[in-house]
Amino acid sequence: MLVYDPSTNPLNNNEWSFPLLEIIHIASFAVSVGTIAVVDLRLLGLGMRRQSSAQLLKDTAPWTLVSLAIVLMSGPLIFSSDPNMYLNNPGFRFKMEALLVAIVYNYTVHSKVARSNPSPMLGALVGGVSLALWVSVVFGGLFIAFT
Amino acid sequence: MSVLSFAQWVQSTAFFTALRGSAYVYPSILSTHMIAIALFGGMILLVDVRLLGWAMRGYTISEMVNQLRPLKRIGFLLLITCGLLMAGCKAEEYYYNALFRTKMTLLVLVGVHALVFRRGVYGNTAALDAAPRIPAQAKLAASLSLVLWTSLVIAGRGIGYIEPPLDKIHARFFAAPAIASTAVPAERRF
Repeated sequence: MLVYDPSTNPLNNNEWSFPLLEIIHIASFAVSVGTIAVVDLRLLGLGMRRQSSAQLLKDTAPWTLVSLAIVLMSGPLIFSSDPNMYLNNPGFRFKMEALLVAIVYNYTVHSKVARSNPSPMLGALVGGVSLALWVSVVFGGLFIAFT
Repeated sequence: MSVLSFAQWVQSTAFFTALRGSAYVYPSILSTHMIAIALFGGMILLVDVRLLGWAMRGYTISEMVNQLRPLKRIGFLLLITCGLLMAGCKAEEYYYNALFRTKMTLLVLVGVHALVFRRGVYGNTAALDAAPRIPAQAKLAASLSLVLWTSLVIAGRGIGYIEPPLDKIHARFFAAPAIASTAVPAERRF
């Protein structure tokens, strides 16, 4: 019978691997969410107003993409340490739903509107929704440990 | 009043006792702390890579540093507020936590960094833009900033992995009046 046994996972057999993975996850999510937030704050008219949102998106996009890739590789590894716990955890389930919406939104509506140098009204709406989505993802992640 | 008894007093106040026991407020403060790390960390990174000349070269150093300054200040304020609220909840435990002490030391170094490089780098951006090449001092400031903030994240996450055996410490304190009466300062006994 093929059953996954987390106790065979190296993550559960080495004192350092799990915290190290968490640090990589946190540092890379800080970069990805932080660079997206800079574009959001520009769309909201709160910062970097001497540049267009299109310019800012173009220059931050590589940083966002690379760090998001690291987040999406370290995340599943963390998940693999205890899949049953995560799957039954309301915080985790909320985080995954929010994450899916946030990523799809980021690479469709958000990037399209930021590239079009939108009116202040539309920019504020799109930037505000983006910030709210990423804030939800982070809250979901932290609540995993408390739900 | 020693630092230890101050820490014990802080966490025993009604405010921090309630905060510690709250099912939603404490995790929300922690989440907000993480969001502030992302906001602030992202901006720090963008300024640092610009100072190093690695990226964001379509912007002058002045544009990067000056336009992000107010947002960085708001992010930092949020970071510190949430941090203080969380530290107050477990002040005594953190007093014994080596990585908490490491993190506080790193925060002091962040302050020293800001003071040392204010005149030559962060408050001197017009001259940096006018220079034919990015001066070594600016690159040093950016490198140190990246190292300091990465270390802060590592130490910060590490705090949660250390759980000082407070019950044992307390038991020893109450069981050994002979030690308590010696001249050794209370904080150094354990």
